[in-house]
Amino acid sequence: MALTLPPGLTPPEVAFLCEMELVTVIPRQRLEGLQLLGGPTVPLIPPHRTPLPLWLALLLKRQNRANIFPPPWLSPSSLDAILQLETSSPEFSDTPPLPRSTTPVSPPFLPSATADAPPDALPYHWLELSTLLLEAASDDIPSADHVRRLLRDLREVRMAKLRAGVEVLEGGREVKMNGVGAMEVSEGRAFIGGVVDGLRKLGAGREISRREREGEEGGLGTGGEGDNEDDMEY
Amino acid sequence: MTSVTQRVRGRPAHPNGPTFLTYTPDGTKLITAGSNNVIRVYSTGSDGEPTNIDDCQENNTAVAASNDIFITGSEDGSVTVYSLETYLYERLLTRCTLPIRDLALSPDGIWAAVASDELEIKIIDIRDMNNVLRIRDLPKPPKHLSFHPSGSHLAVSCTDGAVYIYSITTEDPALSNKFDGYIRRLETDDERSSKAIWHPDGRAFAVPMATRDVQVISRDGEKQRAFLGGHMGDITTLAWSPNGAMLATSASDRKILIWETKTQKVIARYDYTGVINFAWHPRDNIFSFVTSEGELFIYPNFLSPDNAQLLQKSLQPAPFIHDPLSETSGNARKTLTNGLKRTPNDPPKRQGTPNSLDDILGPESAGEEDDFVEDDDGAGYSDEVNRYGKRSYDLLNDYEGPVPKRRATQQSWEPSIHESFQPGSTPWRGNRRYLCLNLTGFVWTVDQDTHHTVTVEFYDREFHRDFHFTDPYLYDKACLNEHGTLFSCPPTTENPAMVFYRPHETWTSRADWRTQLPAGEDVTAISLSDSYVVVMTSTNYVRIFTLFGLPVKVYRQKSSPTVTCASWRDYILTLGNGPVGGDGSTSLLYSIENVKRDEVCQSEDVVALPDNTQVQSVFFSDQGDPCLYDSTGVLLILQHWRTPGQARWVPLLDTKTLERLAGGRKEESYWPVAVAQDKFHCIILKGGDQYPYFPKPLLSEFDFRIPCTTAATEDPSNPATSEGPRLEESFVRSSLMLSLLEDLVQATNASHSQKSELSRREVDVDKLLLQLLNVECREGEERGMKALEVVSLMRDRSGKLLEAAGKVAGRYGRTVLQDKISELAETRLMGMDED
Repeated sequence: MALTLPPGLTPPEVAFLCEMELVTVIPRQRLEGLQLLGGPTVPLIPPHRTPLPLWLALLLKRQNRANIFPPPWLSPSSLDAILQLETSSPEFSDTPPLPRSTTPVSPPFLPSATADAPPDALPYHWLELSTLLLEAASDDIPSADHVRRLLRDLREVRMAKLRAGVEVLEGGREVKMNGVGAMEVSEGRAFIGGVVDGLRKLGAGREISRREREGEEGGLGTGGEGDNEDDMEY
Repeated sequence: MTSVTQRVRGRPAHPNGPTFLTYTPDGTKLITAGSNNVIRVYSTGSDGEPTNIDDCQENNTAVAASNDIFITGSEDGSVTVYSLETYLYERLLTRCTLPIRDLALSPDGIWAAVASDELEIKIIDIRDMNNVLRIRDLPKPPKHLSFHPSGSHLAVSCTDGAVYIYSITTEDPALSNKFDGYIRRLETDDERSSKAIWHPDGRAFAVPMATRDVQVISRDGEKQRAFLGGHMGDITTLAWSPNGAMLATSASDRKILIWETKTQKVIARYDYTGVINFAWHPRDNIFSFVTSEGELFIYPNFLSPDNAQLLQKSLQPAPFIHDPLSETSGNARKTLTNGLKRTPNDPPKRQGTPNSLDDILGPESAGEEDDFVEDDDGAGYSDEVNRYGKRSYDLLNDYEGPVPKRRATQQSWEPSIHESFQPGSTPWRGNRRYLCLNLTGFVWTVDQDTHHTVTVEFYDREFHRDFHFTDPYLYDKACLNEHGTLFSCPPTTENPAMVFYRPHETWTSRADWRTQLPAGEDVTAISLSDSYVVVMTSTNYVRIFTLFGLPVKVYRQKSSPTVTCASWRDYILTLGNGPVGGDGSTSLLYSIENVKRDEVCQSEDVVALPDNTQVQSVFFSDQGDPCLYDSTGVLLILQHWRTPGQARWVPLLDTKTLERLAGGRKEESYWPVAVAQDKFHCIILKGGDQYPYFPKPLLSEFDFRIPCTTAATEDPSNPATSEGPRLEESFVRSSLMLSLLEDLVQATNASHSQKSELSRREVDVDKLLLQLLNVECREGEERGMKALEVVSLMRDRSGKLLEAAGKVAGRYGRTVLQDKISELAETRLMGMDED
């Protein structure tokens, strides 16, 4: 029997991918570099700040062997500024700029959650990353409750924007989705996909009738193409 | 302490109800206002009838006066200005919808702060009532207002039980501090008081607490001394004497108490019922108060003669637990050596009045020839011109610490010297301070009056265990490393100075030791390395002990007085004051020696410091190179220090050019902690702080950047323009790092990893040059000569990089350059360019 999962990634899968993001930790004890499949990690010497993948950082944090240094954008003042921007403009706020580097980097592994991350932009994995950090390392994040509240506001504002964007699809126009995070894509996928699909069906019916009308008027059978499209749809 | 029995006669001034009074700043007039529609103005020194002003509102709730006007506020919400020359109504200053609760005039008499039952405080310019500053963000109505003696801040006692301090120097008053949990939540019309009142020295204020005591709080929010156990009832009002030497309080237990600020003891008690407001005469021994029956008491010769002399004193300091101005312990340096230096925290200075007497008389009038009264004992009877260029008795000035005697009146010249300090320590703030703060951990101490408690915490919690002990010796310096902690305490009357070392791990039952220094010797700085303990003393001795307390060496330092020391393994670095330079300050000299080999590496060499710059910290990097951080924010490292005469100070980082400061919005300074792993570790201090404080601050790290050119502006659209300068800077930096490592490898039995690190760094420098060549080739044909020079700088042991350089030139089609590079490669190969 086929697995009845919706298309795309499920939220736990997105969160799993997010665990490859790098965060900065302040180790509380020594640890030699580990030879891992994803490459060797940096040796940990307290109190030097060290970038580690999120999953390892969370593991060490849960065992009380390290403190996680929250990324600069996860502070009340930065989130406040981003929220202001989100509520005042119809577009999504900008993504962090790509780091200047000679080696090519791909979005899931940008250093966008380390201590050097820009404070004024939400990275691709902002929602799941902040949720994980707030869950596991809320004592390392200054005024965690305020941050939680701001994150919820941000999420609501952005989801509302995403849904509002769907309205313009009806006119056959496109929605600009720059700056939408991974979890938002995964959440919105079912809804937006459904809307687009429904619109396409409605549009297809109208298209067929238009073409039939054209065919009747012109007398030439261009309906074959329409039939083909029909076949593909159902 | 005396309970005074002689009573003065009350004068019926107003009917029953809240009554208020104030003196004019010159002390000539006393103004009272109460619940009837008469305001009375009494002249000091005359016992006659007061001048009455009938043209006023009823139910007055506040009064404030300057020398020529006074203002009253009333329950109907109006604030009125009256003239003191004509005793007539002058104008309405403002009107609020709810009753006025307090008025305050700024010390210069220009601004009137108005608190009413509204949630807004208005600060109105008396000369132009349209010029209004508003404080709008109060959660509940304010009850009391108090202007800072400099006029730059306003303390607001709010009905929500918090004291808010607003900075009012800007158009938009900004909240600078909030102190919760000291005062009670009182309604605005409550007879009890929650007034925060600034001490005249401006560094602290006093608040009445629910426990019927008065607590002094310094501006940084620390609890200082308290006036305890005087009253049996709730405090109704309080006031500092004009010079801050005494505090007067009255309470519902029918008593007025006079406290001495210095000892926080009651020095006089007066029994009067229902005192709700009082005022000190600004100069004389007169005290006036009003009762809730509306009676006014003017009490001449209020203080007994032995207490009255307290009034004659000059401005007295606020009761601090550890007065930051009178102490020079730890890292705190006195800046009084040659005149007073302005610190960034000073309130804005008052400018001299144009055409004032001093201006007309010229500077001679302040000279010593007409100073026929010599201020021999600092009692303040000779009228010295203070730092604002005004004669004294100007209570608007901040207190500046115990003034060195005859500072301005004597012509004796003294060089300004570098004060001794302990790297990594902070001065007292409240009752806490850090004794040592480094990458291993931190040592802090808490003053418990009779003893201190010392806590040592580590960053590495697995390797070390935090510990804590009670310290009867009052240690004031400490050093911490991975092997142990070193403490030292100053000498007391019965005990000489002592050094105490406590190793972190032992295999015998006890390994800590104490050594007492010879009598009369004080410790000026200590340092601890992996193998030695260094103690510098006030008699200019450098004492070196082993880690087990065995004295190895004692010698007298050539440059004196001593400043500080640092050590790393067998090397010790000592700093001292050398000869006096042209700018009137001593130059700072350093010596480095190897204790084990008994070798002097650098002897009395000069620390390269610009004029008027202080050393903020000295330490060794984790690679063992001496580093120095100065007060201009530059981090220096000593290069080639193992060879005598070769050492030089190289700037590694200028914190003023950091990118995070580029916007000019942030005002922050950096407190150096360490140089490790090719990074500068520091603590970021915001808001004009000079030292880190509790809770434990986070360490930040910055990459080095040698100041080569003006900080390259980041231009994201065209990264190529900034690449050249960036590469050039990293070339200088990597060459420096390479030479430091070369020195280290040559001087020690270098491990294999160090040697491979060395060759890796050599290749890195060459790679940087190759990138630089790439940039030069891209720039164009005309940069060919510079490109060739870049290539000739390559060390290139293998010859491969020169080959690569030729290819780079070929790729850009610079054939001439390519030929020249291959020529160079050939000469190198033949070993012909050795000169």
